[in-house]
Amino acid sequence: MDGPISRSLRSPRVLLALGLIMGIGFCAAFAGSIAPHDPSEQDLLAILLPPAWASGGDSAFPLGTDSLGRCVLSRLIYGARTAMTVAICASLGAMIVGSILAHITGYFGGAIDWIIGRAVDVWMSFPPVILSLILMVGLGTGLDKVILAIILVDWTRFCRVLRSEVLVVMRRDYVAAARLLGFSHWQTVSREVLPATLPLLITLVSLEMAIAVVVEAILSFIGLGVRADQPAWGQMIADARQYVYQSPWNLLLPVLAIFLSVAAFNLLGDGLRRSLDVRLVESAR
Amino acid sequence: MITTVLKLVGRRMLAAIPILLIVSALLFCVLRLLPVDPAAMSLPPTATLAEIEAKRREMGLDQPLPQQYLIWLNDVLHGDFGRSIHLNREAGSLVAATLPATIELAVLAMMLAAILGFGGGLLMFHARNSVLEAVVDMGSILLLSVPEFLWGLILLFVFGVMLQMLPFTGRLSPGLAQPHITGFLLLDATISGRFDVLASAWQHLLLPAVALALAFSPAIMRVLRSSLLDVYHEDYIAQARLRGLSERRILLAHALKNAALPTLTLAGVQFGFLFSGTLLVEVIYSYPGLGNLMVDAVRNADLPLIQAVGLTYCVVVLVINTAVDSLYVVLNPKLRVH
Repeated sequence: MDGPISRSLRSPRVLLALGLIMGIGFCAAFAGSIAPHDPSEQDLLAILLPPAWASGGDSAFPLGTDSLGRCVLSRLIYGARTAMTVAICASLGAMIVGSILAHITGYFGGAIDWIIGRAVDVWMSFPPVILSLILMVGLGTGLDKVILAIILVDWTRFCRVLRSEVLVVMRRDYVAAARLLGFSHWQTVSREVLPATLPLLITLVSLEMAIAVVVEAILSFIGLGVRADQPAWGQMIADARQYVYQSPWNLLLPVLAIFLSVAAFNLLGDGLRRSLDVRLVESAR
Repeated sequence: MITTVLKLVGRRMLAAIPILLIVSALLFCVLRLLPVDPAAMSLPPTATLAEIEAKRREMGLDQPLPQQYLIWLNDVLHGDFGRSIHLNREAGSLVAATLPATIELAVLAMMLAAILGFGGGLLMFHARNSVLEAVVDMGSILLLSVPEFLWGLILLFVFGVMLQMLPFTGRLSPGLAQPHITGFLLLDATISGRFDVLASAWQHLLLPAVALALAFSPAIMRVLRSSLLDVYHEDYIAQARLRGLSERRILLAHALKNAALPTLTLAGVQFGFLFSGTLLVEVIYSYPGLGNLMVDAVRNADLPLIQAVGLTYCVVVLVINTAVDSLYVVLNPKLRVH
């Protein structure tokens, strides 16, 4: 059996990526049981400790402490929860909004296509960083606001790419056949068009997760992301940036965490694109 | 031929105007959703309700939203971006004072990104069908995974903190006075013959510019490689081989010229992204440009300043995209035929 799933699972990139994502996801899901400390617990007598293996380290704080004496390992683990929540909710939200609009505009064409197309053009002429900053000013801070801002900025990525894919699929004979057999618009889109655009959709979601992790880190770094009492990798970086000479590890560890998550989602997206794209698979045979 | 090109370029520029109007209207509306009252913010906390009401009328905040937008648009078109509430200075002059620093950084970063992108793309193409291909391919995905935000921090850590080779805050070393002629520091220092300032400015620019270049070059590399791969399927490459040209000559004189076109388009798009990417790099390196002004304004909910800086970013990116479109028309003979 050489289905798309088994083909994907034979790809080393997909396997490597899934391994990493499962590791980070495990930290996020079971943060409460694996983190050695409460992430907001302060020990002001033990501030800016180096990791346990360095001289001056304390085995109670395996990766050291930050400027308020909070455990860096625990904050990294809870930060994974924030990052993964944003990655999943924001990418699915952007996918739902973007792909519904893409299927409507690609399927019906005409005036709807023109209106949504122009809306995407205008939206994309805002630089994404600027747009998300401005939205965060309007929305206020918080995990749900970060997710909403990312959805509002990034639905256009899905809309633009999927629309052209829908247009390609619409020209296929089986779509015309479905219409001739008396399928309703909804049946045609859900049974004939959607299965053909699904591989691209899945790939885009994976890439969007990588983008969402970065955007969340950026917003938290600037201080406009999640609330201050919620641990986030971007916040840890902003804090460590001020004490970079005293404890360089505090800067390096969250940077590494962001890099690993982003690389994992990008590798997954790339691996899935290669193994799900029927044209690529067939030309390789 | 020149008139056709000019006509096409003119049409692209005209098309940018409605987009700009809608963008400015959207920007205005989003910021009006804010739960803060600019009138109350620009008065001392002891102000009475009547004083706040008077201020609101003076600022035009009692007018309906479309009316407010038209007033603001009219002011902006006359060069009046309003006053920053937090810094109590003209928003327009604040933007004018910081924009050259950001442009300097963005232009230098783009030149580095183009060099790295084209060089890397050629290397990646050279590695095709060899054992290195998988390594290079994987490497380029990993490189794509490092945004300018992380490069900024990594370079700061390695060259600023660990090796202590380069400074990583501001635009100049403390104690050096900045000559004010154009606002472009490299240019000003050269004109006024201050080579100590010039050296310091270069040192301060290097890390942020390299961070941006490293983040934006992998996309250029990948497109150059794939368009070279496409071009090598064309008949004229086979024909050049039959004529006995060396592989190097085929690549440089025939393939590269044709593969450069899609790559340049993408590089142009990347320049637009890169310009807004300067925001984070500026924050990381405390570089006194538009990005730090924006973040400052955002943190203080300084509405007039956010509007002015936000609009500046949008205008610059739109200008870059229009320029790239026009350049594409000039370079691509196929688009000129009508």
